[in-house]
Amino acid sequence: MNCRTFLLCIFSICLVTGLNAQITPVVKDTVLTQRQKDRLFLKQAGKDRIEKFKKEFNKTWNKVFIDFTDNNVMLMAGMNFTKQNVRANGYTSPFIYAVEQKNVYKPGFFAGFRVDGKYKENYPYAVAFTLNKYASGTNYKETKSVKPFDGNFSNFKAAEQSFSFNMTALYKKIIPISDTAKYKFYVVAGPSLDIRLSKQGIDNQVNYNYRKMFLRAQLGVEFENKDFYTLFFHYKQGIHSVTKSPIQTGFNNFDLGMLIKASDLF
Amino acid sequence: MKKYLNLTIIFLFALLSITNLISCSKDSSGAEIKLTQQMLSGKTWFLDYSITGTSEKNYLGQASYFIKFSKNDSTSDSDGLTGTYKVEKINNKLQINVKAKTSSTNLVEYIYNIESIGTSNLILYYSLNGATIPTKLYFSTKN
Repeated sequence: MNCRTFLLCIFSICLVTGLNAQITPVVKDTVLTQRQKDRLFLKQAGKDRIEKFKKEFNKTWNKVFIDFTDNNVMLMAGMNFTKQNVRANGYTSPFIYAVEQKNVYKPGFFAGFRVDGKYKENYPYAVAFTLNKYASGTNYKETKSVKPFDGNFSNFKAAEQSFSFNMTALYKKIIPISDTAKYKFYVVAGPSLDIRLSKQGIDNQVNYNYRKMFLRAQLGVEFENKDFYTLFFHYKQGIHSVTKSPIQTGFNNFDLGMLIKASDLF
Repeated sequence: MKKYLNLTIIFLFALLSITNLISCSKDSSGAEIKLTQQMLSGKTWFLDYSITGTSEKNYLGQASYFIKFSKNDSTSDSDGLTGTYKVEKINNKLQINVKAKTSSTNLVEYIYNIESIGTSNLILYYSLNGATIPTKLYFSTKN
Protein backbone atom coordinates (compact mmCIF):
# COMPACT_ATOMS: atom_id res chain seq x y z
CA MET A 1 0.00 0.00 0.00
CA ASN A 2 2.80 2.32 0.99
CA CYS A 3 4.62 1.43 -2.16
CA ARG A 4 1.54 2.29 -4.25
CA THR A 5 1.22 5.67 -2.54
CA PHE A 6 4.92 6.34 -3.13
CA LEU A 7 4.60 5.49 -6.87
CA LEU A 8 1.51 7.72 -7.14
CA CYS A 9 3.44 10.53 -5.50
CA ILE A 10 6.35 10.21 -7.92
CA PHE A 11 3.97 10.06 -10.90
CA SER A 12 2.22 13.24 -9.69
CA ILE A 13 5.54 15.04 -9.28
CA CYS A 14 6.62 13.98 -12.78
CA LEU A 15 3.31 15.12 -14.22
CA VAL A 16 3.46 18.48 -12.51
CA THR A 17 7.10 18.99 -13.51
CA GLY A 18 6.23 18.04 -17.09
CA LEU A 19 3.33 20.43 -17.23
CA ASN A 20 5.41 23.17 -15.73
CA ALA A 21 8.19 22.51 -18.21
CA GLN A 22 5.79 23.10 -21.08
CA ILE A 23 4.56 26.37 -19.74
CA THR A 24 7.13 28.99 -20.62
CA PRO A 25 6.26 32.47 -19.62
CA VAL A 26 6.18 34.68 -22.68
CA VAL A 27 7.15 38.14 -21.65
CA LYS A 28 7.35 40.66 -24.42
CA ASP A 29 10.14 43.08 -23.89
CA THR A 30 8.78 46.24 -25.35
CA VAL A 31 11.34 48.45 -23.66
CA LEU A 32 14.49 48.80 -25.77
CA THR A 33 17.88 48.83 -24.16
CA GLN A 34 20.29 51.67 -24.82
CA ARG A 35 22.39 49.34 -26.99
CA GLN A 36 19.41 48.42 -29.18
CA LYS A 37 18.53 52.08 -29.51
CA ASP A 38 22.12 52.87 -30.52
CA ARG A 39 22.08 50.09 -33.05
CA LEU A 40 18.86 51.31 -34.60
CA PHE A 41 20.20 54.83 -34.72
CA LEU A 42 23.45 53.70 -36.34
CA LYS A 43 21.55 51.61 -38.89
CA GLN A 44 19.50 54.65 -39.78
CA ALA A 45 22.65 56.74 -40.05
CA GLY A 46 24.20 54.18 -42.41
CA LYS A 47 21.05 54.09 -44.49
CA ASP A 48 21.06 57.86 -44.71
CA ARG A 49 24.66 57.83 -45.81
CA ILE A 50 23.93 55.24 -48.51
CA GLU A 51 20.96 57.28 -49.74
CA LYS A 52 23.12 60.41 -49.79
CA PHE A 53 25.87 58.59 -51.67
CA LYS A 54 23.33 57.22 -54.16
CA LYS A 55 21.92 60.68 -54.76
CA GLU A 56 25.37 62.21 -55.24
CA PHE A 57 26.50 59.34 -57.45
CA ASN A 58 23.42 59.69 -59.65
CA LYS A 59 23.95 63.44 -59.83
CA THR A 60 27.59 63.03 -60.90
CA TRP A 61 26.70 60.19 -63.25
CA ASN A 62 24.00 62.23 -64.94
CA LYS A 63 26.33 65.20 -65.21
CA VAL A 64 29.24 63.23 -66.71
CA PHE A 65 27.20 60.84 -68.80
CA ILE A 66 24.60 63.34 -69.84
CA ASP A 67 24.49 61.91 -73.35
CA PHE A 68 24.06 58.32 -72.15
CA THR A 69 20.38 57.77 -71.48
CA ASP A 70 17.77 54.97 -71.16
CA ASN A 71 20.22 52.81 -69.26
CA ASN A 72 19.18 49.30 -68.31
CA VAL A 73 21.27 46.98 -66.20
CA MET A 74 21.19 43.44 -67.61
CA LEU A 75 22.55 40.25 -66.08
CA MET A 76 24.40 38.06 -68.52
CA ALA A 77 25.74 34.53 -68.48
CA GLY A 78 26.65 31.86 -70.97
CA MET A 79 29.28 29.62 -72.45
CA ASN A 80 32.43 30.51 -74.29
CA PHE A 81 34.34 28.34 -76.76
CA THR A 82 38.02 29.16 -77.01
CA LYS A 83 41.01 28.28 -79.16
CA GLN A 84 44.62 29.45 -79.26
CA ASN A 85 46.75 29.47 -82.40
CA VAL A 86 50.39 29.28 -81.37
CA ARG A 87 53.47 30.09 -83.40
CA ALA A 88 56.63 29.75 -81.28
CA ASN A 89 58.83 31.70 -83.78
CA GLY A 90 62.13 30.21 -82.62
CA TYR A 91 61.41 30.53 -78.90
CA THR A 92 63.83 28.35 -76.96
CA SER A 93 63.98 27.08 -73.41
CA PRO A 94 65.38 23.96 -71.71
CA PHE A 95 61.86 22.56 -71.48
CA ILE A 96 60.40 20.46 -74.25
CA TYR A 97 56.79 19.44 -74.56
CA ALA A 98 55.47 16.68 -76.77
CA VAL A 99 52.89 18.45 -78.92
CA GLU A 100 49.31 17.30 -78.63
CA GLN A 101 47.30 19.09 -81.28
CA LYS A 102 43.91 20.13 -79.94
CA ASN A 103 42.71 22.23 -82.83
CA VAL A 104 39.23 22.68 -81.37
CA TYR A 105 37.20 25.30 -79.54
CA LYS A 106 36.88 24.14 -75.93
CA PRO A 107 33.97 25.14 -73.69
CA GLY A 108 34.19 27.43 -70.70
CA PHE A 109 31.71 29.83 -69.12
CA PHE A 110 31.19 33.44 -68.15
CA ALA A 111 28.87 35.61 -66.08
CA GLY A 112 28.51 39.29 -65.38
CA PHE A 113 26.40 42.32 -66.12
CA ARG A 114 25.86 44.73 -68.96
CA VAL A 115 24.52 48.26 -69.16
CA ASP A 116 22.48 48.88 -72.29
CA GLY A 117 21.47 52.38 -73.22
CA LYS A 118 21.44 55.06 -75.87
CA TYR A 119 24.07 57.62 -76.71
CA LYS A 120 22.61 61.00 -77.65
CA GLU A 121 19.21 59.27 -77.77
CA ASN A 122 19.94 57.77 -81.18
CA TYR A 123 22.83 55.36 -80.93
CA PRO A 124 22.25 52.19 -78.90
CA TYR A 125 25.32 51.00 -77.00
CA ALA A 126 26.25 48.46 -74.35
CA VAL A 127 29.07 48.17 -71.83
CA ALA A 128 29.66 44.71 -70.38
CA PHE A 129 31.69 43.49 -67.41
CA THR A 130 32.13 39.75 -67.08
CA LEU A 131 34.21 37.13 -65.34
CA ASN A 132 35.37 34.46 -67.78
CA LYS A 133 36.66 30.96 -67.24
CA TYR A 134 38.41 29.90 -70.41
CA ALA A 135 39.36 26.35 -71.28
CA SER A 136 41.16 26.52 -74.56
CA GLY A 137 42.10 24.17 -77.34
CA THR A 138 45.57 24.73 -78.82
CA ASN A 139 46.66 24.66 -82.41
CA TYR A 140 50.48 24.63 -82.64
CA LYS A 141 51.17 26.11 -86.06
CA GLU A 142 54.81 25.11 -85.93
CA THR A 143 56.57 22.32 -84.09
CA LYS A 144 60.13 21.08 -83.89
CA SER A 145 61.74 17.68 -83.87
CA VAL A 146 64.25 16.60 -81.26
CA LYS A 147 66.32 13.96 -83.00
CA PRO A 148 66.73 11.06 -82.34
CA PHE A 149 63.45 11.14 -80.39
CA ASP A 150 60.30 10.54 -82.40
CA GLY A 151 57.43 12.99 -82.46
CA ASN A 152 56.84 16.73 -82.54
CA PHE A 153 57.89 19.04 -79.76
CA SER A 154 57.56 22.65 -78.69
CA ASN A 155 59.50 24.70 -76.17
CA PHE A 156 56.33 26.59 -75.32
CA LYS A 157 53.38 25.07 -73.54
CA ALA A 158 50.13 26.90 -74.06
CA ALA A 159 48.01 27.39 -70.94
CA GLU A 160 44.82 25.38 -71.23
CA GLN A 161 42.92 27.14 -68.47
CA SER A 162 42.65 30.77 -67.48
CA PHE A 163 40.35 33.08 -65.58
CA SER A 164 39.90 36.68 -66.57
CA PHE A 165 37.91 39.85 -66.10
CA ASN A 166 36.53 41.21 -69.34
CA MET A 167 35.31 44.69 -70.22
CA THR A 168 33.55 45.28 -73.50
CA ALA A 169 32.05 48.35 -75.12
CA LEU A 170 29.63 47.64 -77.94
CA TYR A 171 27.86 49.67 -80.54
CA LYS A 172 24.48 48.16 -81.40
CA LYS A 173 22.77 48.44 -84.74
CA ILE A 174 19.23 47.18 -85.13
CA ILE A 175 18.47 45.02 -88.18
CA PRO A 176 14.90 45.68 -89.37
CA ILE A 177 13.98 42.12 -90.35
CA SER A 178 10.78 41.53 -88.37
CA ASP A 179 8.24 43.39 -86.25
CA THR A 180 10.70 45.41 -84.18
CA ALA A 181 8.04 46.16 -81.58
CA LYS A 182 8.14 42.48 -80.64
CA TYR A 183 11.43 41.03 -81.78
CA LYS A 184 14.64 42.91 -82.28
CA PHE A 185 17.73 41.73 -84.04
CA TYR A 186 20.97 43.59 -83.49
CA VAL A 187 24.45 43.48 -84.91
CA VAL A 188 26.99 44.50 -82.28
CA ALA A 189 30.65 45.40 -82.55
CA GLY A 190 33.32 46.91 -80.34
CA PRO A 191 36.56 46.50 -78.46
CA SER A 192 37.00 43.97 -75.68
CA LEU A 193 39.69 44.03 -72.99
CA ASP A 194 40.61 41.01 -70.87
CA ILE A 195 42.60 41.24 -67.65
CA ARG A 196 43.96 37.87 -66.59
CA LEU A 197 43.20 37.16 -62.93
CA SER A 198 44.57 33.63 -62.73
CA LYS A 199 48.25 32.92 -62.17
CA GLN A 200 50.33 31.49 -64.97
CA GLY A 201 51.02 27.77 -64.73
CA ILE A 202 54.46 26.58 -63.62
CA ASP A 203 55.38 25.92 -67.28
CA ASN A 204 54.95 29.59 -68.11
CA GLN A 205 56.30 31.04 -64.87
CA VAL A 206 59.86 30.50 -66.12
CA ASN A 207 59.59 33.30 -68.68
CA TYR A 208 56.16 34.73 -67.79
CA ASN A 209 55.08 34.19 -71.38
CA TYR A 210 51.48 35.34 -71.08
CA ARG A 211 50.49 39.00 -70.99
CA LYS A 212 48.37 40.35 -68.16
CA MET A 213 46.00 42.16 -70.53
CA PHE A 214 44.89 41.58 -74.06
CA LEU A 215 42.71 43.50 -76.42
CA ARG A 216 40.33 41.92 -78.89
CA ALA A 217 37.68 42.94 -81.38
CA GLN A 218 34.17 41.69 -80.78
CA LEU A 219 31.47 41.16 -83.36
CA GLY A 220 28.14 39.49 -82.84
CA VAL A 221 24.41 39.17 -83.32
CA GLU A 222 21.68 39.49 -80.71
CA PHE A 223 18.02 38.61 -80.59
CA GLU A 224 15.74 40.44 -78.15
CA ASN A 225 12.39 38.82 -77.42
CA LYS A 226 9.73 41.34 -76.36
CA ASP A 227 12.03 42.83 -73.72
CA PHE A 228 11.86 39.51 -71.80
CA TYR A 229 15.32 38.28 -72.61
CA THR A 230 18.09 38.59 -75.18
CA LEU A 231 20.02 35.76 -76.74
CA PHE A 232 23.41 36.56 -78.21
CA PHE A 233 26.24 35.05 -80.19
CA HIS A 234 29.53 36.95 -80.23
CA TYR A 235 32.93 36.27 -81.72
CA LYS A 236 36.10 37.75 -80.23
CA GLN A 237 39.15 37.98 -82.45
CA GLY A 238 42.56 38.73 -80.91
CA ILE A 239 44.08 41.99 -82.18
CA HIS A 240 47.54 41.17 -80.85
CA SER A 241 49.38 38.21 -79.37
CA VAL A 242 48.46 37.22 -75.82
CA THR A 243 52.01 36.00 -75.31
CA LYS A 244 55.24 37.97 -75.27
CA SER A 245 57.64 38.07 -78.21
CA PRO A 246 58.77 35.96 -80.01
CA ILE A 247 55.79 33.65 -79.33
CA GLN A 248 52.70 34.68 -81.28
CA THR A 249 49.45 33.42 -79.80
CA GLY A 250 46.07 34.33 -81.18
CA PHE A 251 43.34 33.89 -78.58
CA ASN A 252 39.87 33.73 -80.13
CA ASN A 253 36.53 32.70 -78.76
CA PHE A 254 32.80 32.50 -79.34
CA ASP A 255 30.37 33.59 -76.64
CA LEU A 256 26.91 32.13 -76.52
CA GLY A 257 24.65 33.47 -73.82
CA MET A 258 21.59 35.18 -72.50
CA LEU A 259 20.76 38.60 -71.05
CA ILE A 260 17.96 39.36 -68.62
CA LYS A 261 17.01 42.74 -67.18
CA ALA A 262 18.19 42.93 -63.59
CA SER A 263 14.97 44.74 -62.62
CA ASP A 264 12.95 41.70 -63.78
CA LEU A 265 14.81 39.51 -61.33
CA PHE A 266 15.27 41.78 -58.32
CA MET B 1 45.11 74.11 -56.69
CA LYS B 2 47.17 73.66 -59.86
CA LYS B 3 50.21 72.94 -57.69
CA TYR B 4 48.38 70.09 -55.97
CA LEU B 5 47.28 68.70 -59.29
CA ASN B 6 50.85 68.73 -60.59
CA LEU B 7 52.10 67.08 -57.40
CA THR B 8 49.43 64.39 -57.74
CA ILE B 9 50.43 63.71 -61.35
CA ILE B 10 54.12 63.50 -60.39
CA PHE B 11 53.27 61.16 -57.51
CA LEU B 12 51.17 58.89 -59.71
CA PHE B 13 53.87 58.84 -62.39
CA ALA B 14 56.52 57.93 -59.80
CA LEU B 15 54.29 55.19 -58.38
CA LEU B 16 53.68 53.72 -61.83
CA SER B 17 57.39 53.82 -62.67
CA ILE B 18 58.30 52.05 -59.43
CA THR B 19 55.59 49.43 -60.01
CA ASN B 20 56.90 48.82 -63.50
CA LEU B 21 60.47 48.50 -62.30
CA ILE B 22 59.48 46.06 -59.60
CA SER B 23 57.44 43.95 -61.98
CA CYS B 24 60.37 43.79 -64.41
CA SER B 25 62.69 42.30 -61.83
CA LYS B 26 60.81 39.01 -61.36
CA ASP B 27 63.20 36.18 -60.57
CA SER B 28 62.22 33.14 -62.59
CA SER B 29 65.19 30.86 -61.78
CA GLY B 30 63.25 29.46 -58.80
CA ALA B 31 60.41 28.50 -61.13
CA GLU B 32 62.88 26.96 -63.57
CA ILE B 33 64.41 24.74 -60.87
CA LYS B 34 60.97 23.87 -59.49
CA LEU B 35 59.70 22.89 -62.93
CA THR B 36 62.81 20.81 -63.64
CA GLN B 37 62.46 19.06 -60.30
CA GLN B 38 58.78 18.39 -61.03
CA MET B 39 59.54 16.90 -64.45
CA LEU B 40 62.52 14.88 -63.27
CA SER B 41 61.37 13.37 -59.99
CA GLY B 42 59.26 10.34 -59.32
CA LYS B 43 60.41 8.67 -62.54
CA THR B 44 62.90 6.12 -63.82
CA TRP B 45 64.80 7.39 -66.85
CA PHE B 46 66.08 4.82 -69.36
CA LEU B 47 69.00 5.57 -71.64
CA ASP B 48 67.87 5.32 -75.30
CA TYR B 49 70.78 6.94 -77.14
CA SER B 50 74.26 8.18 -76.45
CA ILE B 51 75.86 10.54 -78.97
CA THR B 52 79.41 11.87 -78.98
CA GLY B 53 80.12 13.93 -82.09
CA THR B 54 79.05 11.75 -84.98
CA SER B 55 79.19 8.51 -83.04
CA GLU B 56 75.70 7.38 -82.02
CA LYS B 57 74.87 4.41 -79.82
CA ASN B 58 71.33 3.15 -79.82
CA TYR B 59 70.10 1.27 -76.75
CA LEU B 60 66.44 1.03 -77.69
CA GLY B 61 64.99 -2.40 -76.95
CA GLN B 62 68.03 -3.39 -74.93
CA ALA B 63 68.64 -3.63 -71.21
CA SER B 64 70.53 -0.38 -70.84
CA TYR B 65 71.51 2.06 -68.14
CA PHE B 66 68.73 3.62 -66.11
CA ILE B 67 68.58 6.08 -63.27
CA LYS B 68 65.75 6.76 -60.85
CA PHE B 69 65.11 10.18 -59.31
CA SER B 70 62.74 9.97 -56.36
CA LYS B 71 60.56 12.74 -55.00
CA ASN B 72 62.45 12.66 -51.69
CA ASP B 73 65.69 13.76 -53.46
CA SER B 74 67.20 10.26 -53.44
CA THR B 75 68.54 8.54 -56.52
CA SER B 76 69.63 5.07 -57.57
CA ASP B 77 70.86 3.69 -60.87
CA SER B 78 71.39 0.41 -62.69
CA ASP B 79 75.10 0.45 -61.78
CA GLY B 80 74.20 0.06 -58.10
CA LEU B 81 74.92 3.66 -57.09
CA THR B 82 72.58 5.15 -54.49
CA GLY B 83 72.56 8.62 -52.97
CA THR B 84 71.00 12.03 -53.31
CA TYR B 85 70.57 14.54 -56.12
CA LYS B 86 69.96 18.25 -56.42
CA VAL B 87 68.82 20.40 -59.33
CA GLU B 88 70.79 23.64 -59.59
CA LYS B 89 71.31 26.49 -61.99
CA ILE B 90 74.96 27.45 -62.27
CA ASN B 91 76.37 29.79 -64.91
CA ASN B 92 72.94 29.93 -66.51
CA LYS B 93 72.96 26.14 -66.98
CA LEU B 94 70.56 23.73 -65.36
CA GLN B 95 72.43 20.88 -63.72
CA ILE B 96 71.78 17.69 -61.79
CA ASN B 97 74.30 17.26 -59.03
CA VAL B 98 74.46 13.63 -57.84
CA LYS B 99 76.22 12.51 -54.66
CA ALA B 100 76.16 8.73 -54.47
CA LYS B 101 77.87 5.71 -52.97
CA THR B 102 78.92 2.57 -54.79
CA SER B 103 78.09 -0.83 -53.39
CA SER B 104 81.58 -0.81 -51.85
CA THR B 105 80.62 2.51 -50.15
CA ASN B 106 83.01 4.66 -52.19
CA LEU B 107 81.73 8.22 -52.57
CA VAL B 108 81.05 9.35 -56.13
CA GLU B 109 79.99 12.86 -57.12
CA TYR B 110 79.08 13.80 -60.66
CA ILE B 111 77.26 16.56 -62.49
CA TYR B 112 75.07 16.31 -65.59
CA ASN B 113 74.12 19.41 -67.55
CA ILE B 114 70.53 19.50 -68.71
CA GLU B 115 70.09 20.37 -72.38
CA SER B 116 66.36 19.67 -72.52
CA ILE B 117 63.79 18.19 -70.20
CA GLY B 118 60.17 17.23 -70.70
CA THR B 119 57.66 15.04 -68.93
CA SER B 120 58.96 11.93 -70.71
CA ASN B 121 62.14 13.03 -72.52
CA LEU B 122 65.45 14.09 -71.05
CA ILE B 123 68.68 15.14 -72.74
CA LEU B 124 71.79 15.41 -70.56
CA TYR B 125 75.34 16.19 -71.58
CA TYR B 126 78.73 16.06 -69.98
CA SER B 127 82.32 16.55 -71.06
CA LEU B 128 85.02 14.20 -69.87
CA ASN B 129 88.23 15.85 -68.70
CA GLY B 130 90.15 17.10 -71.73
CA ALA B 131 87.39 16.20 -74.19
CA THR B 132 86.24 19.02 -76.48
CA ILE B 133 83.14 17.28 -77.78
CA PRO B 134 80.46 16.68 -75.13
CA THR B 135 78.62 13.38 -74.83
CA LYS B 136 74.86 13.66 -75.02
CA LEU B 137 72.61 11.16 -73.26
CA TYR B 138 69.02 10.75 -74.41
CA PHE B 139 66.66 9.33 -71.79
CA SER B 140 62.98 8.52 -71.86
CA THR B 141 60.55 7.25 -69.25
CA LYS B 142 59.15 4.45 -71.46
CA ASN B 143 55.53 5.01 -70.48
